Amino acid sequence: MIEVHDVRKKFGAVQALGGVTFTARDGQITALLGPNGAGKTTLLRTLVGLLRRDQGSISIDGIDPEKDPMAVRRNIGFLTDQFGLYERLSTREYLTYFGELNGMERAALDKRIDEVSALLGMEDILERRSKGFSQGQRIKVALARTLLHRPRHLLLDEPSRGLDVMSTRALRTALSALRADGCCVIMATHVMQEVTALCEDVIVIAGGITVAQGSPEELCRRTGITDLEDAFVSLVGTEEGIA
Amino acid sequence: MKSKLLIVLRKELRETLREKRTLALLALFTLLYPVMIGFMMHQLIDKSTKSDREGIELAVIGGSKAPTLMAQLGQKNIVVKDTPPMEEEAIGELLRSKKVVAVLRLPNDFIENYYAMRPARLEVWFDSATESNSQRREVTDVLEAYGANIASARLLAHGVSPAALTPIQVQRYDTGTNASRSAMLIGSVIGILFFPAFMLGMSAAVDSTAGERERRSLEVLMAQPAHTWELVGGKWLAASVLAIVGVTFELVLAHLILKWLPLEEIGMSWSLGWGDLALVCLVTIPLSLLAGALYVALAMNAKTFKEAQTVLSFVMIAPLVPGLVVSMLDLKTAQWMYLVPMLSNQTLVKELSKGGDIGALPFLLTFLCSAIPALVVVAIASWRMKSERYVLAV
Repeated sequence: MIEVHDVRKKFGAVQALGGVTFTARDGQITALLGPNGAGKTTLLRTLVGLLRRDQGSISIDGIDPEKDPMAVRRNIGFLTDQFGLYERLSTREYLTYFGELNGMERAALDKRIDEVSALLGMEDILERRSKGFSQGQRIKVALARTLLHRPRHLLLDEPSRGLDVMSTRALRTALSALRADGCCVIMATHVMQEVTALCEDVIVIAGGITVAQGSPEELCRRTGITDLEDAFVSLVGTEEGIA
Repeated sequence: MKSKLLIVLRKELRETLREKRTLALLALFTLLYPVMIGFMMHQLIDKSTKSDREGIELAVIGGSKAPTLMAQLGQKNIVVKDTPPMEEEAIGELLRSKKVVAVLRLPNDFIENYYAMRPARLEVWFDSATESNSQRREVTDVLEAYGANIASARLLAHGVSPAALTPIQVQRYDTGTNASRSAMLIGSVIGILFFPAFMLGMSAAVDSTAGERERRSLEVLMAQPAHTWELVGGKWLAASVLAIVGVTFELVLAHLILKWLPLEEIGMSWSLGWGDLALVCLVTIPLSLLAGALYVALAMNAKTFKEAQTVLSFVMIAPLVPGLVVSMLDLKTAQWMYLVPMLSNQTLVKELSKGGDIGALPFLLTFLCSAIPALVVVAIASWRMKSERYVLAV
């Protein structure tokens, strides 16, 4: 469970987050929608304690990431907008490195690497060094790293970009499985189909402020628009003054 | 559970050692310095002992025209090589080959002029670009003495005292010894002996900080449940381990070479035992640690690999400065020198190479003067790494 209340963050004169409030429940996939520059990445970074908020409160299963970042991070899988692969390490070595950093034992780790790579369909690149990987292969490796230590919370920044149809399906299956396990997933995305197909809850932020939270149906109902994409544009547009 | 610092250390080492360019560079610098030192010293010893052993070789064309002169050259340990008449180019070629210090040519009219008591011309051909000045001077000295002898004999025959021709007599004394000349040399040898400590860790330090930032993997790493001191510490040790292994290997190799060379021939000494060497290697470990710490602390502030390299190139030169200043000002060894990293290592080896007991304090000071700053720098770097700017500016 991730609870965020009125979080604000300023970089110099730029107000990156101007008051974000939402609750992401366990066993649900929560979509984070917002135009480019809305503050999605800043919000996710604040949730793992990489950035300090100026104001407001964050609680991840009752823990404040600013007070105990280590405890929070042990329970978070964070997929950043950059994959952060090491070209001279093979996929297995890469996953082992991050597994060990998360305190996993070697035997359990090896088993888990096989599990995750089967889940994402990436057995073929497991022993290869990541130099020359395609965009899809890179994001799979990064996703595998995110899932490796069985985090209770997942923060995914556009997890489906660059994936082909098969891999997108594999990702959806993986996310559904995590939801069934009771994980709390927050997924920043621009793909409305994915939101409709996967997410129970949607947070819309624009200009660093939460403008709406609710299920896709609720958002449609509230705006009186049947299509989620149009509803999103309307939500962002009415609050921001851009049509 | 394994220490996270060790996990980072192992990964960084593995990644660095996989790059062939870095490996080649490590091997080059480890081997280059001892071999370079060995070669330089060998050449020097060879050159300085050559003239004593073999005498001076002088090619003479038409030597039979002046048998007395030939005999006098022989008395001065100058080996006369009778040579058939040669063209100008052939003489130049012979001099360039450095087999002889000079060529003495007696023209065909030498005997005629000699008996007619006209100045008889003698030609000395030499190559001023070669370094056989002192040997050449010996040859001209003999020629002048020969001329003076003839003049004296002719004056005597006319009833004039030959002393009238020599109002002054110059006697040259050279107090320069091999030892004073080679003091400079051993200084420069010791000066570069510890330089690899600052060379070998650089690439790993830059790659694991600025490189990781440039490749955008630092944010992911910082979002892991590991403290910044574990991340910085691992990267620091990875860079330092490479330098420590390299420098130790280099010192051992240099020791073997310097022991093997007949340094006494040029008045130098290298009287370190294996025990001394082990201690020197031990107190040099913090020097590598300090280099690694400085590199990591500086490189992590650079946004790109290139930027970091430029900054570090300046840092790399800095440790050479104290040693240079001391040798330029010709300062005597003093206690404070053991408090300056790098200079302390150089001073320590300089004193040890002379032989004699210097006690434990210099070793201790050398160790601490690098170890303490290294730890301080790493602590500062770890503390700074907590700042948001390293996340944002990726």
